[in-house]
Amino acid sequence: MTDVGLEHYLVVSAALFCLGLLGVVIRRNLIVMYMSLELMLNAANLALVSFSHHQPPSPHGSPLDGQIMVFFIITVAAAEVAVGLALIVALYRKRQTTDVADLTSMKL
Amino acid sequence: MNLSLISLEIGVALLGVLVLLAGLWTPPHRRSALGFCTALGLTVLLALLVKQGMAIETLTDSSGGFVRDGLAVFFKALFLLAGILVTLLTMGFANRLRTGGAEVYALNCFALCGMLFAASANSFVMLFVAIELITITFYVLTSLQSHRLRSLEAGIKYLILGAAASAVMVFGIALIYGSAHTLQFNLIADGLAAGHMKQLLLFQLGALLLLAGLAFKIAAVPFQIWAPDVYQGAPAPVTAFLAIGSKAAGFVLLLRVLYTAFQVQPDGPRLLEPTAMFSVMAAATIIFGSLCALRQRNLKRLLGYASIASAGYVLLGIVALNERGAAAVLVYLAGYLFAVIAAFTVISILTPEDEDEDLSILANLHKRSPLMALTLTLAVASLAGIPPLAGFLGKFLLLRAVIEPAATFPWLVAVALLGVVASLYYYFGIIREIFWGTGQWWTEKAPETAAIKLADSQVVVLVVCVLGMLAVGLYPQPILEIANAAVQGLGL
Repeated sequence: MTDVGLEHYLVVSAALFCLGLLGVVIRRNLIVMYMSLELMLNAANLALVSFSHHQPPSPHGSPLDGQIMVFFIITVAAAEVAVGLALIVALYRKRQTTDVADLTSMKL
Repeated sequence: MNLSLISLEIGVALLGVLVLLAGLWTPPHRRSALGFCTALGLTVLLALLVKQGMAIETLTDSSGGFVRDGLAVFFKALFLLAGILVTLLTMGFANRLRTGGAEVYALNCFALCGMLFAASANSFVMLFVAIELITITFYVLTSLQSHRLRSLEAGIKYLILGAAASAVMVFGIALIYGSAHTLQFNLIADGLAAGHMKQLLLFQLGALLLLAGLAFKIAAVPFQIWAPDVYQGAPAPVTAFLAIGSKAAGFVLLLRVLYTAFQVQPDGPRLLEPTAMFSVMAAATIIFGSLCALRQRNLKRLLGYASIASAGYVLLGIVALNERGAAAVLVYLAGYLFAVIAAFTVISILTPEDEDEDLSILANLHKRSPLMALTLTLAVASLAGIPPLAGFLGKFLLLRAVIEPAATFPWLVAVALLGVVASLYYYFGIIREIFWGTGQWWTEKAPETAAIKLADSQVVVLVVCVLGMLAVGLYPQPILEIANAAVQGLGL
């Protein structure tokens, strides 16, 4: 039984990030795309926390920097969700759709 | 934490909150007074900044995440000026937004606050929060005309692509943190210089992801797909603010990250091959923007593609990787501010409610409003780079930065010159419509001839923009000195 180390966290984080990116690229439903975006942000959070936890003692920079960054990311993500869902609801009221394929009123 | 260091940002944020509160008690017919008060408040703040900024010294807060040097002061003044002009321009447009009336001014202030923080960012925490404050505010501003499907659609496209770009950027920051063990620009530079960066591959991957996020902000190829749709769909004053404010914020952050944090130098340690990367990006951006603008008939979309092309020119200053290039970026953006705001002011006045901004709305403009015709002509001539206007000076300095002391990239210069030729074609298409346009020739509808009456605030914006374009172009000495002094602190 091996200990869980930095690499394990990073592999999970990279997998989450790729899944999120894949979701944004492949899925056509706005809400699912938005969930995928949150997944990408949380992948970054996981990476930051695990780097911060496993950081070797260094002459400069507090080891807590990364964890402080995570709080900012969580706060900003909450604001982003509030604005994003409001926009998606406004679109649904207007067009009765949450599918990106219907967002085509502007073309080249 | 020294609060007096961020007094300007606090002032702008407070102004936004005050306007929002005052909007609750202001009767609808007095709403334009709110815009006037916002513009007045911002002017006072700009005056204070200029008074303080005369004696520029580098000040850093105790945690090192916020810096106030020449570069920061230059961009803060640029953003405040843009904020004032956009607020005045919004006053004439507010009745078309169909919102409460105070929100648009407050949101402008909040976006401006984010830009001011971006100008001073010295750590990745500050960079991220500033960028998000700008971007999230612009999601709302873009879709403010929610009764128009285009505005809403532009907002949602911006939202999804913008959120994806910031997620990529945050992951890049995490990887940089993993290899550098710090988020502060100075300390990262120290770590790179001392050579105890163990996981170089991790650092490079992180830097690439971060730069991708910043390239999205400045709408450089291949991260430009959002720009035309958002420029077209957003209300005209918002497009103006997006074109200058959001883009300039992207460039100041790019300068800081590249020079202060990564210490990128032409003959320095090869971390990223920055010259090759940015020269390809600049060339692709110029070509894409110019080609797409050629056949465009929607004015806002045309200026959207043109702004992509101009981001390519600004990247030339970054390809050069020297002080001259950085100073050229500053001069170009200062000239760009007046030209872009002038153009979008005219568009916002001319566009009929709920109609497209087709080129045909410009017909007979020289008879309907000589001031607007003059301003738009000067603005597009400045954007195209005709001497003696401000745009010529900027483009000239940017090109010179790549050519001197040695023309490292002859093909890049050739692409830029071809782009200039193409831009003459599409910009002069606009001028032709103003003076010789025949309106909607496909409907046999005679073009409008009624004179247009301008509001005072709109006249002020137009006159300031014309004077600004002429002043920067004819008396370049002051702006050149300021720009050269401002880039000293970058560590080049």
